[in-house]
Amino acid sequence: MTAVLRRINVVGIAAMFSVLVLWELSVRTGLVTFEYIPPPTRVVAGLGEIISSGELTTNLVHTLTAAVVGWAIACVVGVLAGLALGLSRATWTYSMASVDALRALPIVAFVPVAVLLLGFTMEMEIVVAFYAALWPIVLNTVAGLRSVEVRLLEVGRVLRLGHRGVLWKLRLPAATPFIIVGMRLGLSVSLVLTLVSEMVGNPAGLGFALLQKAQSLQPEQMFAYIVVIGVAGIVLNAVLMALARLLFPGQMAASGESA
Amino acid sequence: MLETSVEPVGSGRASLECDDLRVTLAGAAGEVDILNGVRLSVASGDFVSILGVSGSGKTTLLRVLAGLQQASGGQVLCNGIPVDGPPQGVVTVFQDYAHSLLPWRSVRRNVALGIEDRLSKSECAQRVDEALEMVDLQRAADEYPWRLSGGMQQRVQIARAIAMRPSVLLMDEPFGALDAMTKASLQDQLQQVQALTNTTIIFVTHDVEEAVYLSDRVVVLQGRPAAVGLSLEVELERPRRQVATKELPEYLKLRHEVYAALGQASAQ
Amino acid sequence: MTATRTEPRPGVTAASKPPVRRRSAGTPMRGLIPLALVLLLWQALGNSESPYFPPPSAWIRALKPSLDDGTLYAGLGWTTLTVVLSLVLATTLGAVLGALVGSSRRMDRAFGPSLEFLRVLPAAALVPLAALILGYTMQMKLAVVILPATWPVLLTCRSARRSMSSVLVDVTRTLGLSRRQRIRKVMVPALMPAVLLGLRVSAPLALIITLLVEIVTRINGLGALLGQAQANFRSAQVYGLLVIAGALGFAVNWLVTRAEGAVAARMSGGPTG
Repeated sequence: MTAVLRRINVVGIAAMFSVLVLWELSVRTGLVTFEYIPPPTRVVAGLGEIISSGELTTNLVHTLTAAVVGWAIACVVGVLAGLALGLSRATWTYSMASVDALRALPIVAFVPVAVLLLGFTMEMEIVVAFYAALWPIVLNTVAGLRSVEVRLLEVGRVLRLGHRGVLWKLRLPAATPFIIVGMRLGLSVSLVLTLVSEMVGNPAGLGFALLQKAQSLQPEQMFAYIVVIGVAGIVLNAVLMALARLLFPGQMAASGESA
Repeated sequence: MLETSVEPVGSGRASLECDDLRVTLAGAAGEVDILNGVRLSVASGDFVSILGVSGSGKTTLLRVLAGLQQASGGQVLCNGIPVDGPPQGVVTVFQDYAHSLLPWRSVRRNVALGIEDRLSKSECAQRVDEALEMVDLQRAADEYPWRLSGGMQQRVQIARAIAMRPSVLLMDEPFGALDAMTKASLQDQLQQVQALTNTTIIFVTHDVEEAVYLSDRVVVLQGRPAAVGLSLEVELERPRRQVATKELPEYLKLRHEVYAALGQASAQ
Repeated sequence: MTATRTEPRPGVTAASKPPVRRRSAGTPMRGLIPLALVLLLWQALGNSESPYFPPPSAWIRALKPSLDDGTLYAGLGWTTLTVVLSLVLATTLGAVLGALVGSSRRMDRAFGPSLEFLRVLPAAALVPLAALILGYTMQMKLAVVILPATWPVLLTCRSARRSMSSVLVDVTRTLGLSRRQRIRKVMVPALMPAVLLGLRVSAPLALIITLLVEIVTRINGLGALLGQAQANFRSAQVYGLLVIAGALGFAVNWLVTRAEGAVAARMSGGPTG
């Protein structure tokens, strides 16, 4: 019981809560007079409004679908490309620099291109999310495959595992924590870029809702959306980590990600 | 509490002394008494070793003497002045040499760390060279510490302390992490340094042979919370030699006594 | 974008941990061949009238007018200025806060969760909010960029301060260094590699978010030019500006990596550092 209590960071939660109380008080007492900063209680009310009108569900589903679908495609393509680059010396030599060059393109700058090519559509959002998540996944897969300890590969030779055995039993398991990190990075980047593509392109989803609430001067609802977006990011990440721990308990524990 | 100190406290001759020292620390299971009524007086120029089984509070005692840790009761006097924070003229050498040296500074600049802002450039350089010479490190002066062996790194730390020209040198198991050969050569180097500088040295160790071999007096901490259990004068001729000294019957007798005191300590 | 993780966990090594002075770490330039081939084919087969895929030569032609009247230089200048200013502020803020929070377990535990929530909050979500409060101004741009660019530095600094050996603090005390000397001679150099490690993540992030703000709000800068070109369906110009943004990104990465390499080699010391 005390162990459970100790794991819950009471002080941390209290600090967070006191910031909220301070915020509430300073707005209420007129210490901060800014018509666009509502106190936390009004934000909660705003959250209630967007939930009961049903717009939150619609927007949330729209944005998360685009982000997750794009990300899922990127996982498949990214890991495959990473395998090609990480396992074949020749592929790496003759294309890694191209990957680096493309990666250097700020992904945000790619959004106008996507809007130009695909218009204001859900496909455009998915493509943007895909492109955004692709690079961290590719790079981390390559890094994971190349990070395998020489000693471990020697073990493979001593045990006569053969090429396939070394790949499946040593290199892939050793690279798993890296690949997971790439996927985590990719997931949060694709969420952000989906929001951006909704702000400048497809008028739908959470990104557009944010703009709309700002323009129609409904800061409570806008703040409520910001909170929802933050929580959605945390939840997505937590789900991914839980899945990873379920599927690869050994590797995650070895890389210090078990707690 | 056992009253074993040789000189009366407050006699003025002592360079570092403490009386009725108590330390209580907050642990996982509430408050733990570490030291209870430690009384110690070290005369100027003396080499005193503090021995104890692990967990006996040796390091805590040293840290309190060094002014790095507050006592819960009692007092530490350095040249008659109460200690409250690291006093001037008292420098500590830590066991963990790897983390005590600044990896981005060369050996020379590590040794200069404590004096570079107090002395002129030429004076500082002279002191650094002097200190490096004493520990026989002139040739490594421009190396980075992480390129050196453990023994050499610990010599850098000793040189850095000497460069401060301390009146008291506190050493916390300085050779505890070194292999036997390196340890022996550093022990002899430390003897030479003390002979040259006449610095008071308080030396914490868990190695009985090392304590008897180096010291003028060996102090054994006993009990939990700890107090001074045995205080033994070591009157072996100096300079001491690793082989010859350790074969003297007198040495063997002292060694035996200290082991007995330690055995009693661990039995409690 | 709060995407970038900065804890020194095994997975991030690819992007963040400097391999201990491996000279041959550079990727071979031969690897650029596929990209060059694609561009060449595009040039050879592309139709310069295509509304979607104009060939590279058309990109250059489309950029010519903005080069001539200086709008491109102005945009590049504004973007660079925003990135540099916000990086300077974010690094200072992140280093100081990180060192403070990391210096005590109590502070760390108290502020940890709040920092974590702010960190995962996507920067894009803050643009409308900042625009509402600060208006369409340079200050707004800076505010939006500084917040996310601070985290990487703050977090690396926090963990570096947390893992800093307590012996190091004892050493400075026993050598009688004053508080100022301690900070100048030990803390700053000891935390420097962490700051630069964080900066390496922050710098591209700052550029991306600057472009993001500019694209969304159309406040002067490279991103605004991109947004306008896209809104007017000038595809060749969009591609051209994309390449320029890429070049800027490359320059930023190169600079920061070089700085980090130089400092890491000198400061962090040996294999243990």
